[in-house]
Amino acid sequence: MDKQEPPDPLFDALRGEMAKLNAPRGVEKELMQAFARQLPPRRWYQKLAPGWALQRWALAGGLSTAVTALTVFSLMLHNPRLAVDPDARSRALVTRDGGGLFIALESPERIEQEPAPRVVETEVSRSSLAPLGVPLTPENAGDTVKAEMLLGADGQPLAVRLTSID
Amino acid sequence: MNTTSATTPDADLLRAMRNGAADAFSALYRRHQGPLYRFALLRCGSEATAADVVQEAFMGLLTERFRFDPLRGELAAFLFGVARNLILKLEEGRQRHVALPVLGVAQEDDDDAELDLPLDEGGPLARLLDNEAAEQVRRALAHLAPHYRDVVILYEMHELSYAEIADICQVDIGTVRSRLSRGRAALAKRLAGWRTAPHLAQA
Repeated sequence: MDKQEPPDPLFDALRGEMAKLNAPRGVEKELMQAFARQLPPRRWYQKLAPGWALQRWALAGGLSTAVTALTVFSLMLHNPRLAVDPDARSRALVTRDGGGLFIALESPERIEQEPAPRVVETEVSRSSLAPLGVPLTPENAGDTVKAEMLLGADGQPLAVRLTSID
Repeated sequence: MNTTSATTPDADLLRAMRNGAADAFSALYRRHQGPLYRFALLRCGSEATAADVVQEAFMGLLTERFRFDPLRGELAAFLFGVARNLILKLEEGRQRHVALPVLGVAQEDDDDAELDLPLDEGGPLARLLDNEAAEQVRRALAHLAPHYRDVVILYEMHELSYAEIADICQVDIGTVRSRLSRGRAALAKRLAGWRTAPHLAQA
């Protein structure tokens, strides 16, 4: 270990004075504007990428198993391709965001690397989700749940977002 | 989940920043802007230039023009290195375009740690600090040759280790030690008369 000399007391006054100084506020403002240009807010499916996914997965906690089953089932109803994919259920990654529900059907890495994702809006009838525990009353029996499906360039479903599920 | 608490490691904030978390970038900036600005201000003597250096350093971090590798050290030391390089580049540009004035006393005696050359417009001789004692030390510091000034500022003001300073200044530890010693001696010499003056007791 290299022995270091003690700080010179000659600098005490300067240390005290300099400690009060900071960069002008305008610098932070300009940097944050540059940040917004450089890294615009991410779309919901981008937030399922590594890092985000792990944190949100932890938050999802005990809800995840039931919601996964619900979602895979509902997707099967509307997407026959998933029904023949036995791995879809185990791959699904479910997270909550406010009243919405995000379900990754492919790995976060696969979603992140998709060069040309597109989002297709659709609706799922609430009654079709009732067997899986979605509350169903006479008043909402005819309702539908809005969904946004993220598709890869080849049409493969990558993720889905259910809104107004509550 | 709050990803930007005061104890969140820089590496985690950087990762979140690259994933688009503006609050992580803001937290990194607020954590490091002060020391970086103070280093640049003492190093170049101009508030405007120091602010530019801070802005460019963080902009480089954002755009990855300056790529930080957490395996190679701390972010703070990396940013000091970036700031120092930016200032050196500014000084090189200035020396290319501005004819140096002939100085009455270019070098004092045998001590080449001294440099009687204001480096910035309004530069080190313009008053920056209210406290007289602090201002005198700052002015004396501004008269050190830049390679001595770097080491003295980083050691005395930022409490970095010899090894960290060596890495930032891209010299070996022995050079850091000798520059610090010579820099301190030059400062003591310049301030000797002032320190014994009666007004010091009142500062």
